[in-house]
Amino acid sequence: MNAEPVQVRVVKRFSASSERVFDAWLDPALIAQWMFGPKLREEEILRIAVNARVGDSFSFLVRRQDAEINHVGQYLEIERPRRLVFTWGIADSDSSRVTIDIRPLEAGCELTLTHELHRDWADYADRTEVGWTTMVGVLAELLDATG
Amino acid sequence: MVSSRQLDHTLSALADPTRRAILRRLARGETRVTDVARPFAMSLAAVSKHVRVLERAGLVRRRRAGRDHLLSLEAEPLDDVARWIEAQRAFWTQRLAALDDMLQNAEQAQGTPPNANRRKR
Repeated sequence: MNAEPVQVRVVKRFSASSERVFDAWLDPALIAQWMFGPKLREEEILRIAVNARVGDSFSFLVRRQDAEINHVGQYLEIERPRRLVFTWGIADSDSSRVTIDIRPLEAGCELTLTHELHRDWADYADRTEVGWTTMVGVLAELLDATG
Repeated sequence: MVSSRQLDHTLSALADPTRRAILRRLARGETRVTDVARPFAMSLAAVSKHVRVLERAGLVRRRRAGRDHLLSLEAEPLDDVARWIEAQRAFWTQRLAALDDMLQNAEQAQGTPPNANRRKR
């Protein structure tokens, strides 16, 4: 089915190798350098816990102002250095999914990150006659219509 | 920020052609329930059921004017979906730029990858 869920896709090229880029997603010491912390926004890292096995989970706990925010998820696919899939949410909500695809280039690599709002949406797409592309189109149309 | 559960609610309400057609009609302005139902080849009761799903998702507001029930579109949940998409795009774009910086700095500082001495996975 030519269907697409509501999703965000970001593509980025790196001069570093696929392996180095891949490992940065699963190494707590590296995660603390680029994904969270005061370099990115006003927050303090309280704990970065990673169990990098399919079916196991991660927990990235940060404090912003007085609120503790726990980013949690479960690893669904780990194929070093090509592909990494995990659920992503705050606290108990795990209803979004992030897929990292890494393609080697002559020098460095290209990473495609896809963040889908809900991993169960594929089921909806199967049940409905229209594809998600249509639905996202309708959403844009309605937003235009309402200004 | 709106929860993804709320967004799910909005999007499952949108995942039906009849309900999207109702919303398109309401995007043109407030409309009586009976007028909303007219173009559809289904009973008023069936259309009302779809309208109730949209009301529960916060996409449609109903008010009474005498004997008429008037429906109007509530754009807020749609804006929430658009905002979610923009917020995630901003989040990951910023993170990937930071990842690139980190890897480049490590290379320049040491001439070796930051994780070169770590055990292999």
